[in-house]
Amino acid sequence: MAAVIEERPEDVIYPEVMEAPRYSCALAGAYSTAVGIYGVVPILHSGLGCGIGQLFGQFYAGGQNAGGPQGGTSTPCSGLVEEHVIFGGEDKLRRLIKSSIELMQGDLYAVLSGCVPSLTGDDIESVVKEFREQAPIIYVKTAGFLGNSYEGYELFFEAVIDQLLNKLPIKKGLVNIFGVVPYQHIWWKGNLRAIKEDLQKLGLDVNIIFTEFSGLENLIKIPAAELNIVLSPWNGQRVAKKLEEKFGTPFITLPGVPVGPKQTTRLIQEVSQALNLPTEPVDELIAREERHSYRFEEYFGDVMILAFPQPYFSVVADAGTAVGIAQFLTNEVGYLPDKVIIDDGTPEENREEILRELKENLECVVKPEVIFDEDSHRIRENLKKGNSLVLLASSLEGPIASEFGCVIHVTVSFPSYNRLILDHNYAGYRGGLRLMEDIVSKYCGPL
Amino acid sequence: MASNDAHNLVEPGINLNAPTCPNREQRAHGINVYYGQASQLLIDAREGKLQAKDRDFQQTSGCALNFYLAVRLNTIRDAAVIYHAPVGCSASSLGYRELYRHVPVSLGRPENYDLHWITTNIQENDVVYGAGNKLRYAIREAERRYSPKAIFILTSCTSGVIGEDIEGAVNELQPYIDARIVPVHCEGVRSRLVQTGYDAFWHGVLKYLVKKPEKKQKDLVNVASMLSYTWQDRLEIKRILGKIGLRPNFVPEFASVDQFEQLSEAAVTAPLCPTYTDYLSKGLEQEYGVPYFLYPSPMGIRNTDEWLRKIGEFTGKESEVELVIEEEHKVWQPKIDALREQFLKLKGKGEKLTVLGSLGQGRLLAQLPFFDEIGLSSPAAMSQDFDNLILDEVEQLIGTVGDFKILVNTFQAAEQAHVTRQLDPDIALTCPFQGCSFKREKGLTRIHSLRADAHPRSTQSGYAGAVACASFLLQSWTSKSFQKTMLAKTRDSYKDWWYKQPDPLHYLKREV
Repeated sequence: MAAVIEERPEDVIYPEVMEAPRYSCALAGAYSTAVGIYGVVPILHSGLGCGIGQLFGQFYAGGQNAGGPQGGTSTPCSGLVEEHVIFGGEDKLRRLIKSSIELMQGDLYAVLSGCVPSLTGDDIESVVKEFREQAPIIYVKTAGFLGNSYEGYELFFEAVIDQLLNKLPIKKGLVNIFGVVPYQHIWWKGNLRAIKEDLQKLGLDVNIIFTEFSGLENLIKIPAAELNIVLSPWNGQRVAKKLEEKFGTPFITLPGVPVGPKQTTRLIQEVSQALNLPTEPVDELIAREERHSYRFEEYFGDVMILAFPQPYFSVVADAGTAVGIAQFLTNEVGYLPDKVIIDDGTPEENREEILRELKENLECVVKPEVIFDEDSHRIRENLKKGNSLVLLASSLEGPIASEFGCVIHVTVSFPSYNRLILDHNYAGYRGGLRLMEDIVSKYCGPL
Repeated sequence: MASNDAHNLVEPGINLNAPTCPNREQRAHGINVYYGQASQLLIDAREGKLQAKDRDFQQTSGCALNFYLAVRLNTIRDAAVIYHAPVGCSASSLGYRELYRHVPVSLGRPENYDLHWITTNIQENDVVYGAGNKLRYAIREAERRYSPKAIFILTSCTSGVIGEDIEGAVNELQPYIDARIVPVHCEGVRSRLVQTGYDAFWHGVLKYLVKKPEKKQKDLVNVASMLSYTWQDRLEIKRILGKIGLRPNFVPEFASVDQFEQLSEAAVTAPLCPTYTDYLSKGLEQEYGVPYFLYPSPMGIRNTDEWLRKIGEFTGKESEVELVIEEEHKVWQPKIDALREQFLKLKGKGEKLTVLGSLGQGRLLAQLPFFDEIGLSSPAAMSQDFDNLILDEVEQLIGTVGDFKILVNTFQAAEQAHVTRQLDPDIALTCPFQGCSFKREKGLTRIHSLRADAHPRSTQSGYAGAVACASFLLQSWTSKSFQKTMLAKTRDSYKDWWYKQPDPLHYLKREV
């Protein structure tokens, strides 16, 4: 038996020392964001393992996705070692940018610098400037220790705004979507497509930036938008505020990517109000879409009532996903919210709004316990105290769901090693239907 | 002729008084850039001409921490891992609870097990003020939460560059902590070679975890088995060794801490992957007199025979081994012969299918003779890295299969895509870490498997593995629709000129 430990200065509690937090670092988030935009060639100015670490821990974890033609092991990387720590890595970076522009197919080159050059003080800006005439190029200082993946998303767009974007005449009906972080928000591709399709029905030109072949063009036209729409209680807020400051673009915020008819109607209404769209066609659109969705919800009535009516459920997810799923299940299918654990490190100042959405905007006498925590150990201990039949969480909870008495576990949040996610999503009018397919399919069978 | 152990080629001995191993560059002149004939590589290596040259174009490929250790070390069952690092360095560890859950309990996976890791989550202010107290907190938190038998501390570029005193924290806290604390110096910046991570890990194991033998276990065979070889490989090895009255001690993945403690008691340390096992094998011999051999690995019929014979020598089981070989040949040789015949028929006129493997050093030595055995020809191979630890073995290999071209690079996807297109092998054995080089007209399959793949189809070791692996390769030849479609319908990562110029090492930094 070890000796009894006496009190020491390090008995201070460090809450950020955690088991398996559900995100990666700022570099990973900026890297994901870059790879999410078609035609962007990320250039990592970092140690050799930074890219492959994020291939395993951010891309594969984000729904078993590869990195695409510029991600994963295709990504140029300066591969810094001790000699660069001592003598600096600027020359290495210079050679790498030159060769990357020569060799890699791409429309925009984005230098993402990691922990090592940040510690050694490489002058990345100067090196990048040398190439401004040769190709569209930006740099993002994304030392991993600056923050998590979500922070990397903001840093990437801040760099885009500062280094790439210029004021443009406003294009009527053009809206940009922010707040969806590639790979980290595991449904990013499908969510963006679904939201785009729903908003297009209002006659809008919807710039989702990611996934489309016109990646660079999508970035460049950001300042021409009439409105920015942020689909997260906190991700993308800094981007939207900066765009408002620099280009005067107003923005609206929704608490998450809408799941199912009620939330999607709210999105449609808020967008159409912000853009002063005539009400009658909007109301018609809403009526038509809702009718369609609910007609399909009728189809799952039998199996849902037979299998498990009014089950308690818990959610472990990033804030936006958690709000969307909790509101849909509570407000539209009669599930009872038990615990909502928000695992994305939501900043203090954004928590009140989330709490409001998860208390006031849940139409149920049962209100969930809302917990902000990123530590997989504490999350597990919390779930053990719960009472849920259905658990909507990450793949980390898959193997241990039975510890909590859960009969059903569906991966809805990062990491998602147990689901390949390409096009699937829970967004928009019909998103709730897909969520119910996933939940109920885990239980249903012969009478 | 200089042998592997010549002092100017390989650093002699292992110094467990040092906090960590030398990196592979220092220890064995390791490189990860070369293209040429294997025979020339051998000459260059023996003349001490191998140089870790820089490339002007380079792609992300893994570091000492983030290639292997961060993904798999967390599966040591009664241990905890602490990453003394910013949060991103451990992201590839997020699969820990799921990784081997696919292995059925009926195949020997324990039903209940629980794995743990913690990150110290180094942040901006820690970089300024130091993160030593956070590390101390993390060690004690790991002990409080999980009561592990061992706590591994994995370091990072950041902890290294800011000069964290890991040994200081370990020495100070160890008296108060029940778990054995094992620091592993895997700072990414310390080496260009991912293999340095293996050595750094074994250094920690040898220095802190292996116990003095209480008794020698004459039937125990140490096998360092990374589970990119499969669960079925372990079962096959266990089966064959069982027939001669021996037991494997599989470390490190999915092992328990006492299996590490007992490494010193084994009769012999046998390789699956020699380059992976090298440091452990030599350390166990030096410190505890456990003999070892590094070649061959049990892949293919002939290699498995030889592997068993070596084990027989060290355990006094020579005659039992011969009986087992005879018995196994009766079962498996006809199946291999049948598969070989099928391979030879594919092209006709006695022409062999060519195969290009992207291999580690270990697999290079193990798999080329196996390909030869089943009637495939390997006029070229890619190796993640190359060092002086395997010179004698490469010479032996050339003797067996003839000379071949070798591209040494660690997942340099552009170079691999170039070579794959230039040599245009009938079957490319890729791993997913080769960017777009899987897009092609001809055959394609994998080498490594995911999640310890417990299906018999994926076995590669031993006799059953030889047959399964040959069938697996044969199956790969039957459809090319995926890679052909992707080639036709998606964009390549590189501009056209890349494939039109002749040199995969086009971006090798020439002036030195």
